[in-house]
Amino acid sequence: MRYTRVHTDVQEYQVFARKTRVEPLHQVGSVVAPDDDLAMAYARATYDEERWVEMMIVPRAAVISLWAPGGDS
Amino acid sequence: MGAGRGQLSLYSLVKSLADNKQLLGMRYAEWCIAAPTLEADIAAAAMGLDDIGHSRVLYGSLRELGTPDGAVDDATSYANVPYLDRPWTEWAEFVAANAVLDGAFTLMIEALANGNVEVLRSRLKKMLQEERYHALHGRSWMREVKAGAALERAWRESLEWIGPEDGDVDELHRAGQLAHGVRDLRRLLEERLDGQAPQTAIEWGNWEPIRRRTQAGGIDQATLDMLQGLAEKRYMPATG
Repeated sequence: MRYTRVHTDVQEYQVFARKTRVEPLHQVGSVVAPDDDLAMAYARATYDEERWVEMMIVPRAAVISLWAPGGDS
Repeated sequence: MGAGRGQLSLYSLVKSLADNKQLLGMRYAEWCIAAPTLEADIAAAAMGLDDIGHSRVLYGSLRELGTPDGAVDDATSYANVPYLDRPWTEWAEFVAANAVLDGAFTLMIEALANGNVEVLRSRLKKMLQEERYHALHGRSWMREVKAGAALERAWRESLEWIGPEDGDVDELHRAGQLAHGVRDLRRLLEERLDGQAPQTAIEWGNWEPIRRRTQAGGIDQATLDMLQGLAEKRYMPATG
């Protein structure tokens, strides 16, 4: 079956979720997509195996890192 | 058989919806290792599971919706759109089905879930939550892929599946069993896809009311056996 890879312009979205109201959101993974619509569809399809009470996605580019492992903290 | 002016029961409409959902789920799943990106592979598998699950709920509701209008349980009574008769060979076909056909089926589910039949009101709402992500997937991929002929075909067959004006759908709408009639369903589908249906003349004289299509043919017996689980039974251990 022939196909061509598409999406020349994509970005990474980080996926956050939690199972109960009392626990904080935590990162469960990431998806790569060309727009928010597809990123939502991909996040739900990829990470829907748990019974999350909340899930959200954030563009990786919108996350401001203060420090990280290996950096000058 | 002619254009079927409202002589069919709700049973036939829901049976056709269930058949289409089951087969659409299978067609989605066939792409779970062949889509253009890894994420799309996973989405194809997830949407396939969703739609097969939806078909099970719809089949399970049938016994509370009266009696069949025709034969059941053979390949000629399997009431799917021609688009799903054979596996897709191009990703564009997946995208057009995902956006347009799945969208038309979702609108009918919405019309049933908001109608006055209690078993459908209570069981179909969860499907609409899941279908939201199918719509996002289809709409976004429509922006990426020039679906062309596949898109036109999906539109035509969706309109055929919804059926003719003053047919069974409009009659069920007048009885309150469906929240939308044919004109509403066509308009809502166009609105949700940000586009107009192609201007194609449908030969309603050839429309088969139970299968909701104008084109002859259908799935083959082997596919039906697989969908009904008959093929898998050959691999079950003998009992006794």
